[in-house]
Amino acid sequence: MTPLLSGDEIKSLIPQREPILMVDKLFSCTEGNAVTGFTILSDNIFCNEDKTLSEAGLIEHVAQSAAAFAGYQFYTSGEQPKLGYIGDIRNFRINWQPEAGDDLITYIRILVKVDAVTKIEAETYVDDKLVAECQMKIFLNDR
Amino acid sequence: MEKKELIDRINTILSEEFEVEQEMIIPQANIKETLELDSLSLVDMVALIDQEFGVKLSGTEVSQLKTFGELYEYLYSKVQF
Repeated sequence: MTPLLSGDEIKSLIPQREPILMVDKLFSCTEGNAVTGFTILSDNIFCNEDKTLSEAGLIEHVAQSAAAFAGYQFYTSGEQPKLGYIGDIRNFRINWQPEAGDDLITYIRILVKVDAVTKIEAETYVDDKLVAECQMKIFLNDR
Repeated sequence: MEKKELIDRINTILSEEFEVEQEMIIPQANIKETLELDSLSLVDMVALIDQEFGVKLSGTEVSQLKTFGELYEYLYSKVQF
C-alpha cells in the first residue's frame, strides 16, 4: 500500500512533533474514512522497557490518526491544521501490545460530526491482526 | 410504525444511553437539561439517532430542537416507514 503522505509530510496535517509524533503515514482519506500507519521505533517515547507499545501510546496513535484525518481536509484546502483534543474515549479494547519494529495500520471511520466535535470508530492492526479498537470523540479547536 | 411506537423507541434508547428515568422524557421537557447534555454527550445523542433511525442531524438542526416534542415531530417527518 503506497501512502498519500508520509514522513515529514504528516506534519502538514497535525501539530504534534517528535518525540510524540505517532503517525507517519496516511494511506487513504475519503469523506468518512481514513487509513493511517505508524512504524514503532525502539526509541519511541511511549514504549515500555520491554519495547512493547504502552496503552497510552496506542491511544495517542489513534487520536493522532483521527486528527490527521481531519487535518487532511485542511491540507487539501491550503489551511493550517487545527489543534485537536481527545474529548472522550469509549470501549477501548486492547487485544495485545505491539512492539518496536511493528507497523500499525489504523482504520478510522467517522460515526458523526456535530460542529467542532467528531465521534470516530477506530481499529488498529499489525499484519492483519487486530491490536486495538475504540470509539473516540475529538474536539478541534478553531483558534 | 405508528408515531407512538416511534416515541417509545426514542424514549427507550435515550433513557438507556443517558441513564434517565423514562418518566422524565416528556414532550415539553428540554432535551439538553433532561439528559444533562454537554457538547460531547450531544454527539452521542446524534450518533444514537443516526444508528437507530438513519437520520443524520446537523449541528444547526440539533440546536433548533429544544424539546422532546420537537424531536419526535422532526424524526417522525424524516423516518421512512
